[in-house]
Amino acid sequence: MKSILNKDNFKDFTNQNSAFIAFIGLFLLAIITCGTTFLNMGNLMNILRNNSIIGIVSLGATLVIINGSIDLSVGSQLALTGLIAVSIINTTQSILLGIIISLISAIVFGSITGWLVAKFDVPAFIVTLGTMTIYRSLSQYLFDGGGLLVSGKSAKTFISISNTNLFNVIPLPIIFWLVLAFIISFFMSNTPTGRYIYAVGSNEKATRLSGININRVKVYTFIISGVFISIAGIVEASRLGSINSASSGISYEMDAITSVVIGGTSMSGGRGRIIGTVFGTLTIGVINNMMNLFGVPPFLVGAVKGMIIIIAVLFQKRLNIKENN
Amino acid sequence: MPKYIVEMKSIEKAFGGNKVLHGVDFCLQKGSVHALLGENGTGKTTLMNILGGVIPCDKGEIYINNVRTKINSPSDAENYNIAFIHQEIMLINDLCIYENLFLGNELKKGSIINKKAMIHKSRNILNNMGIELDPSALTSTLTASYKQIIEIASALLKNAKVIIMDEPTASLNHTEIERIFMIMETLRTKGVSFIFISHKLNEVLKICDHFTVMRDGSIVISDRLTAEIDEHKLAGYMVGTEVSFNSAYSPRTIGKVILETKNLSHKKYFENINLTLSQNEIIGITGLLGDGRSELFATIYGCNPEYTGEIIVNGKKENLSSTSMAKKLGISYLPNNRKEKGIIKDLSISQNMSIAILDKLKGLFLINKRNEFSSNKNFVKKLNIKLHSLNNSILNLSGGNQQKVILAKTLSSKPSILILDNPTQGVDIYAKFEIYNIITKLAESGVGVVILSNEPQEIINLCDRIYVMYQGEIKKEFNHNEASQKKIMIIATGGTL
Repeated sequence: MKSILNKDNFKDFTNQNSAFIAFIGLFLLAIITCGTTFLNMGNLMNILRNNSIIGIVSLGATLVIINGSIDLSVGSQLALTGLIAVSIINTTQSILLGIIISLISAIVFGSITGWLVAKFDVPAFIVTLGTMTIYRSLSQYLFDGGGLLVSGKSAKTFISISNTNLFNVIPLPIIFWLVLAFIISFFMSNTPTGRYIYAVGSNEKATRLSGININRVKVYTFIISGVFISIAGIVEASRLGSINSASSGISYEMDAITSVVIGGTSMSGGRGRIIGTVFGTLTIGVINNMMNLFGVPPFLVGAVKGMIIIIAVLFQKRLNIKENN
Repeated sequence: MPKYIVEMKSIEKAFGGNKVLHGVDFCLQKGSVHALLGENGTGKTTLMNILGGVIPCDKGEIYINNVRTKINSPSDAENYNIAFIHQEIMLINDLCIYENLFLGNELKKGSIINKKAMIHKSRNILNNMGIELDPSALTSTLTASYKQIIEIASALLKNAKVIIMDEPTASLNHTEIERIFMIMETLRTKGVSFIFISHKLNEVLKICDHFTVMRDGSIVISDRLTAEIDEHKLAGYMVGTEVSFNSAYSPRTIGKVILETKNLSHKKYFENINLTLSQNEIIGITGLLGDGRSELFATIYGCNPEYTGEIIVNGKKENLSSTSMAKKLGISYLPNNRKEKGIIKDLSISQNMSIAILDKLKGLFLINKRNEFSSNKNFVKKLNIKLHSLNNSILNLSGGNQQKVILAKTLSSKPSILILDNPTQGVDIYAKFEIYNIITKLAESGVGVVILSNEPQEIINLCDRIYVMYQGEIKKEFNHNEASQKKIMIIATGGTL
């Protein structure tokens, strides 16, 4: 009896933590093949820092996908809100004002997307395909298709936001990412809205018939995701000291969706965990890093990454199937 | 010629240490309609899942036509001419009828699908069953009973000799049930055997010739269904004690009017509805399929904002534009299709139960999980829900217990107007009476209850007043004392008294 229980517990564990297990497997593989070139503090911090921006974007994308939607506009929205932040900072020299206006515009964008999806029942895929093009076009029009450098007195302070190391070891973007992950994870499992986001993704009709305003839930989801995108944009602008209307955020939507899927969130909605997405992002980070260390030719990186993504998801599927039998 | 077409011997099955079948013997005679009875969660469906190859058994033997066989998958079962028609309809709505019928076994000419032959063969099968349907119609246009019939047709197409039907009549009305029974009768004379799982004992007495009763994973009795066996006896076998079938009705003092509609109409569903509901009152709405009662009350719950006419709640004309609006006004609603509109499959039992009152269970921002747990625990006790842990997936529960969870959700917001659409769907007799008791108690405490049902007896047992609908209109209102099954049936079929 006891052994059966343990077996069940183990199955539960593997099922819920398949993203974690896949990550650990890959991590061990990296240690075995690369040794200390992989396993040293500098390299590990590098992986974390390089992925913290996608990591933050992916947190919001997790909510959107759990809610049964998708957001293709994250990359261009990141560019636009980033540009808004930088241009406000450059003109007013107030970092706080720049951040606040960027966040407010993110809330507005999120509301519009959410409202279109909820009120008119247009598939999110279509709406965000549209907003993706609109945001990118607006960014390029307003900034002549070029970049915007952070300038003036405040530039140094703004740039230091993403380029400071806590205790001289941990770069701040990592801290932002992990703290936001913790907050949103707590939000999802402890607030009514978090619960509703799962419920709408799982069964929209039943949720509505429980007397819940599902339109509002959808709008909130896109707003939260928008805020995360805006934060990621600010972190990126600060890290590079500039942001580019044509190249910033390109293909971030795909990277974010990849992190979310590897993290075990169901594309059909209703199921998924924030911690899974964090490990999903890390998995991709480790893959990228390994290929760097191996010296894989840059044009082949995509092929190898794609294969590993498919294998990681198949591996998770296997765990899930075992669980179901 | 073997007497039994199916023999199952000493079947045992456990799920993760939880033993659900304790050495069950089950025999099915050729050409018989065999009722498999028992309360929710007694192992009926598990036993049939084993026969249908859906899950393997831990121990035991299965003989088909006296030959020992192993059924490891649904396709094995198909090879032994066993078809399993599940409780939930498994058709693909976006395909045509014939495409559903031939799904996975398409007829081909070379490597190209032979539409003509499939349509022709489908029409033959349907004609043999006495059903006039266009095989190229979209499945989504069919009503529940016709979908059920398509499932039977699909079984016949695969040459099924044994058809297992798990609560086939749960979502059907009277005429539709008759239709299914006629088809079963026809097929029985052609040598097809049926295993019929149902909670409706009057139906069992009507159509079945053998019966087996299960309780807690064991067989209680298995015998011919002779004339001296009636509903009381069957119910007694199921619960282990005598069950009183006496009407639960006792008159209550009725309070003031809390819900009223004036010329309520919807261009697609119903016309000129005038009805009232008072405190402490239970009203029943019944009719046949297409009567519009479900749509009417979905509208009152805020699902169809484009209505005309007035809905008056507590003396005030209200604009019911959303479900959250309805909830604020103290209206609560139990939907008629549990799978589609009731359960949220990815949430746990506990989360399903509390979803409607999270705003009440929260502090400033956060859900107070201790309050959530105690509120849920309370309902588990009150509704006698059988479960291992509140944190399990809701899909782990049997159909009847799922229904109770959804009922708990509906009651959780402490409504003053309670709309229950087919509240006892897929629920066993014992649980049915529990639910009737709960409804009566709620009415005594002041709640106004609306019951939508296609079982006239259920409505007569419970309601103070009864509205009978026919094609979107209220045709007649009965007081409790005036109503009878026969009168209701006449009005519901469009007749006059």
